[in-house]
Amino acid sequence: MIGIFITFIGAILVLFLGISKQESSSKNLSASFLFLAAILSLVEALGFANFSSIATWAPKTMIDFSQGEMMFVSLLAAVTSAIIAIFPSSNHKGSDKLGLMMLSLTGAFMMIGANHLVMLFLGIEVLSIPLYVLAGSDKLNLNSNEAAIKYFLMGAFSTAIFLLGCAFIYGGTATLSLTEIEVRMSIVGHFAEFPSLVKAGVVLMSTGLLFKVSAFPFHFWAPDVYQGSPNKITTFMAVVVKIAGFVAFSNFLQAFSALSGWNNQWIILLSVLTIIFGNVVALSQKSVKRTLAYSSIAHAGYLLLFLITPMQGNMWVLFAYSVAYALSTVVLFYFNDKYSTNGEFGFSMFTGLFHSNKSAAILMTIALFSIAGIPITVGFTAKYYLFTSAFDVSPIAVCIALIGSAISIVYYFKGFKNIYEVDINMNQLHASKIHWIVYMMVAVSIVLGMCPYLFERCF
Amino acid sequence: MEIIILPLFLSVLAAAFGSKVNKIVWGALSALTLLAMIWVKSNLNIQNDGVWHTTYDMPWFSSGIHFTLGIDGFTGLMLLLTNILSPIIIFSINRDKQKSLLPLILFMQAALNGVFMAKDGLMFYIFWELALIPIYFICLLYSSKDAFKTTIKFFIYTFIGSLAMLASLIYLYLKTKNHSFAYEELLAVQLNHAESIWVGAGFLFAFAVKIPIFPFHSWQANTYTYAPAQGSMLLSGIMLKMGLYGLIRWYMPIAAESISFYQPIIVTLSVIGVIYGAVIAIKQNDLKRLIAFSSLSHVGLIAAGFFTLTEIGIQGGILQMFVHGINVVALFYIVEIIETHSGSRELSGLGGLAKFNRLFAALYLIVVLGTAAVPFTNGFPGEFMLLKGVFDYNTISGVFAGLTIILCAVYMLRMYQFSMLGESKTSFKEIGIKQLWPLIILVVIILVIGISPMLILDKVNPSVQKIMLEISNSKGVLS
Repeated sequence: MIGIFITFIGAILVLFLGISKQESSSKNLSASFLFLAAILSLVEALGFANFSSIATWAPKTMIDFSQGEMMFVSLLAAVTSAIIAIFPSSNHKGSDKLGLMMLSLTGAFMMIGANHLVMLFLGIEVLSIPLYVLAGSDKLNLNSNEAAIKYFLMGAFSTAIFLLGCAFIYGGTATLSLTEIEVRMSIVGHFAEFPSLVKAGVVLMSTGLLFKVSAFPFHFWAPDVYQGSPNKITTFMAVVVKIAGFVAFSNFLQAFSALSGWNNQWIILLSVLTIIFGNVVALSQKSVKRTLAYSSIAHAGYLLLFLITPMQGNMWVLFAYSVAYALSTVVLFYFNDKYSTNGEFGFSMFTGLFHSNKSAAILMTIALFSIAGIPITVGFTAKYYLFTSAFDVSPIAVCIALIGSAISIVYYFKGFKNIYEVDINMNQLHASKIHWIVYMMVAVSIVLGMCPYLFERCF
Repeated sequence: MEIIILPLFLSVLAAAFGSKVNKIVWGALSALTLLAMIWVKSNLNIQNDGVWHTTYDMPWFSSGIHFTLGIDGFTGLMLLLTNILSPIIIFSINRDKQKSLLPLILFMQAALNGVFMAKDGLMFYIFWELALIPIYFICLLYSSKDAFKTTIKFFIYTFIGSLAMLASLIYLYLKTKNHSFAYEELLAVQLNHAESIWVGAGFLFAFAVKIPIFPFHSWQANTYTYAPAQGSMLLSGIMLKMGLYGLIRWYMPIAAESISFYQPIIVTLSVIGVIYGAVIAIKQNDLKRLIAFSSLSHVGLIAAGFFTLTEIGIQGGILQMFVHGINVVALFYIVEIIETHSGSRELSGLGGLAKFNRLFAALYLIVVLGTAAVPFTNGFPGEFMLLKGVFDYNTISGVFAGLTIILCAVYMLRMYQFSMLGESKTSFKEIGIKQLWPLIILVVIILVIGISPMLILDKVNPSVQKIMLEISNSKGVLS
């Protein structure tokens, strides 16, 4: 709960204090607010302190954070803080973008902690509405405008479907509280009266969530929106929205664990299709950003595999994968942002990087290894945990996921060709210094890869 | 543990000071690993009784996954091969490439030591993958044109193989009683026929790509040709042995139930590979390609020997793994010398090099004879035992595999004749003794093993007995 408070207060402060100043002057303020939120949530999650007294006014039936959910809050706050710190800020007046980003993050926290379908819906809306604005925040860029309108229309549509699902579930179970639903669903006699109503509700609500995490077949918006939005916002969308979406999704499906046999069927199908589609289409992309967008679709596919496992007590698997995905995605988007110029979006922006800036090349190499799941990076650990826990339920889906990650090597390693190529005309952009947080993130992904038991200790 | 940590530490050092210190110093440092091996052996008082002794054990990941290392005669032989060859490969580096290649080669040495010592399934997989990364960069950084396509093909091919192995390992892991990757636990898993065939397929695919067995060899020739000499040496000298090692150590005892199903298939494919590789090698003009195909032929015979499941076949195969490592690295070393001193490695452009340097010619000849398995060189005992094994298993396969002796003599002598004898077509720079002495070491090893193969066979024998016992035990479970 402390995370939501600090983020929300920080957002309001940043919005008002930054009215007349330039964005860059509020950057440190908002990054440190988020970092504080991350640290305090972590402290509470690990049990060193208890801030529950400030959350007494919030009804537990609506929103309540378990230890594991606080870990996710801490992760998302830390990642957003890093995103704000490492990406260059625009020189426009007003810190509205940072404020909106923090508000959107508040929505993500509400989704994570939601115990009630109304709260879940509120969380999704609080997350999405600032994002519609942020996607179009580069207002002179046509692509950005396109991204905003696309995201808004599709998002509004999916929300409507989500609400319809809520209504069906209310019709089927006569309650909107997730804990209550879980109890009622386990009583066979009660559920037997309205099976199709509940099933329809689950599918409709899942549609809304699948849209948020950009899983097949609701992924079509993702590449365009990712490409058009400013880099900072794209990174935020790819990481925070996806992770919050999956935590909410798994909380939601846990309430319907009585239906898990039936749910698993279509989740496995969607997961396999998402993995194949994301990876195969990513192969033919020319732009780095679009490649990363399709890669994030493929990762949504791997994460869907988590939803078929018995999730209770297994949340650290999702956490490990989220950490791995967040660390490498942020680093890769950072390099894409740093080296892309007006006319240059393709892989050739990295040409000769190894010879002009060794440390950048090595950092990028490790990040690519991590996202591809090569051992002793956290990416491998996460994939290993995820695939092992899903193997029991569906060996075939895991085999397809393994094939998918083999395919992904092709496009992740495409960059190596350029990075290690000898280039006579040195790219001037390459010489600039790399933010120290990026070094930290890469170091963390190696350390967590070598000491994977840390994940299990945290939960 | 020291055996892995030492080269790893050196590779970090080399990344920092690689170009400032002479490569001979680095080679000597890398050879220190041999001392570490002896130290580990004497310190833990390990007897060569066939048991795979645990030398290091630490919980890692969750409770079921340990960082476990072990050593026995077979592992010891592979470590010996790795740590003799790595310094020699380091000596062969050109000065201008030293800075980037040194850390990669030392890292590779650490990872390879890890592969051979890993006693835990996941550990084995992790080291297996780690060994792939430096070789990928060695090939990428200093290879000629079209390099990227070749290296990415190689990487993806082997990566898919490893993932198949990972799937098999995870399946076995979920089948173990206490969910563990420990070698003994994996051995104890009982599979039914269908399961064992799938699990075996995963392992076999990974190993067959790496070895490579006949239809999976398409990455090999191009990768060897485009890679720098050090890359080819590492690949053919040590990395191929990872696949063969995995076959004997991991696939056969663990999925023993499926051996009878795969036995005829693999033996046939391997024998096809033996002849196919040899015939193509005869027609090659590029020296590196020639060695690549000869390697395909030799390694095919080793795989066939393993799959005969006869004691003599397996013993001969293990001996031949060591011998082939030494020979092929010596050959690539020679090619590197020829290429740097005459500027060409095309047979059509060479000739008459013998008269420029008699010592070089003599060493070259001994290596060629060793590869062609002439008695009293190291190639002979292993190849003889392998052929005996294949012959015992199936006469027809034995006859076809036996052709390798003739074919190998043809391409090896042709290679020697066209490059060293006849009229000289190119100039040949003076070769310093500094460049020849690694070759002299290799030639001494070739002769010593040729005269007294028991030096190695005695060390390996207990492990072979133990492994064969494990195989027959788990096969017995089924029947």
